[in-house]
Amino acid sequence: MGLCGLVLAGCATAPASPEALAANDPYEQTNRDMLKFNAKIDKYFVIPTVGVYFLLVPEGGRRGVHNFLGNLSLPTIFVNDMLQGELSRAGKSMWRLVINSTVGIAGFWDPASKIGIPGHGEDFGQTLAVWGAKEGPYLVLPFFGPSNPRDATGLMVDTAMDPTNQIPIKQHLWWAAGREYFTLLDLRAQTYQTIQGIQRNSVDYYSSLRNFYRQFRNEQIRNGRNRAQDLPDF
Amino acid sequence: MRPSIHVALTRRALLLSAAAPLAMALPAAAAANVAESFVDDNIHKGLEILRDKKLNTVQRRDQFETLLLGLVDVRRIALFTLGQYRRTAPPEDVDAFVNAFKNYAAAAYQSYFAKYTNQTLKVTGSTERSPTDFIVQTLLVEPNSNQPPAEVDFRVRTDTGKPVLVDVAYQGIWLSLEQRDQFVAFLGQNNGNVRTLIAHLSELAVNLAKPT
Repeated sequence: MGLCGLVLAGCATAPASPEALAANDPYEQTNRDMLKFNAKIDKYFVIPTVGVYFLLVPEGGRRGVHNFLGNLSLPTIFVNDMLQGELSRAGKSMWRLVINSTVGIAGFWDPASKIGIPGHGEDFGQTLAVWGAKEGPYLVLPFFGPSNPRDATGLMVDTAMDPTNQIPIKQHLWWAAGREYFTLLDLRAQTYQTIQGIQRNSVDYYSSLRNFYRQFRNEQIRNGRNRAQDLPDF
Repeated sequence: MRPSIHVALTRRALLLSAAAPLAMALPAAAAANVAESFVDDNIHKGLEILRDKKLNTVQRRDQFETLLLGLVDVRRIALFTLGQYRRTAPPEDVDAFVNAFKNYAAAAYQSYFAKYTNQTLKVTGSTERSPTDFIVQTLLVEPNSNQPPAEVDFRVRTDTGKPVLVDVAYQGIWLSLEQRDQFVAFLGQNNGNVRTLIAHLSELAVNLAKPT
């Protein structure tokens, strides 16, 4: 609620430009300010930690952390597969959870991919999209980055439905903090070069990121299908 | 070694390219083959240039740029990326923008593809959006990786009588759409002044051409 209040408070300040309205980004100025804030957090807190992470943990260890975190998300992915009516993908998520949690030793290894069951992502934001919900205006959330009302709602629902968040409160705080910390490290370690590339090639980094986010989410919602649809003519 | 279907496609493409102006009149399946062969042949040529260790940096850049500009319909892409400002900008500014975009695109494409010189691209099929508009699907395979191959799509138009590349997508993210959003946002913040965008693009092209 605090985050929503912060975002909405900023929304009321500056009138939106015609370009911002055309880009379904009526809160553009607030979003740009939030991107700058996130960039500072990234520069002064996240990137130095990622550097230490790279120094201390070898590539195999980082891959293990990535696999472990991915395995923790599988119950949520399974539920969203089911809610979207994707039974085949739900079956794959279930098998991945069973195989990687056991043979893969708590998910640190990914034997399921080796036998032809690769991972895929799903979340409640995508489920809402499949059910027909529109994305709404573009938002940059503090700490979380690019989003929209649909995906922000999905993030909250996914957090609430995650079974690992049902752990009793004393341990839960440490568990949740540790998991979020390593999720952030893993994400930043995985995307470091990509983000650098976008920054280097961009005329306007903010709108580049906005477009990447929207195209990326649409691709996730389509599950890679019907990619040739909805392209403009030129 | 590339699968034999690609060899067959290449031979077919050679035959068909001799009759390129007739491409629009070809049956859909043959036109799709022209688009697939066009991508298959030329992407491999591009990757070979980027991999060629006998070339120095300047030679590599020049050869890649020559190949690229022969394949890509730069003017069409440039005009698309200007969005609504294409209609309001003075014609001389539009022409200058197309030229600046050409230099930027050559540097940007080279920067993108230079990352993938160890990988191989395999054409896996195509989708016809219209009789002259195709999406050619490829897989970017990284040797010795347990990650699934990345999907790279190429949009090929044949309405000018010969196949030309107008867009490329990595994992479903189209480059021209992203560029249009950036340029329109930039112009929106600079009173629609295309000359400001030209200056910025030119500076960016110089920076992109520098080794990382």
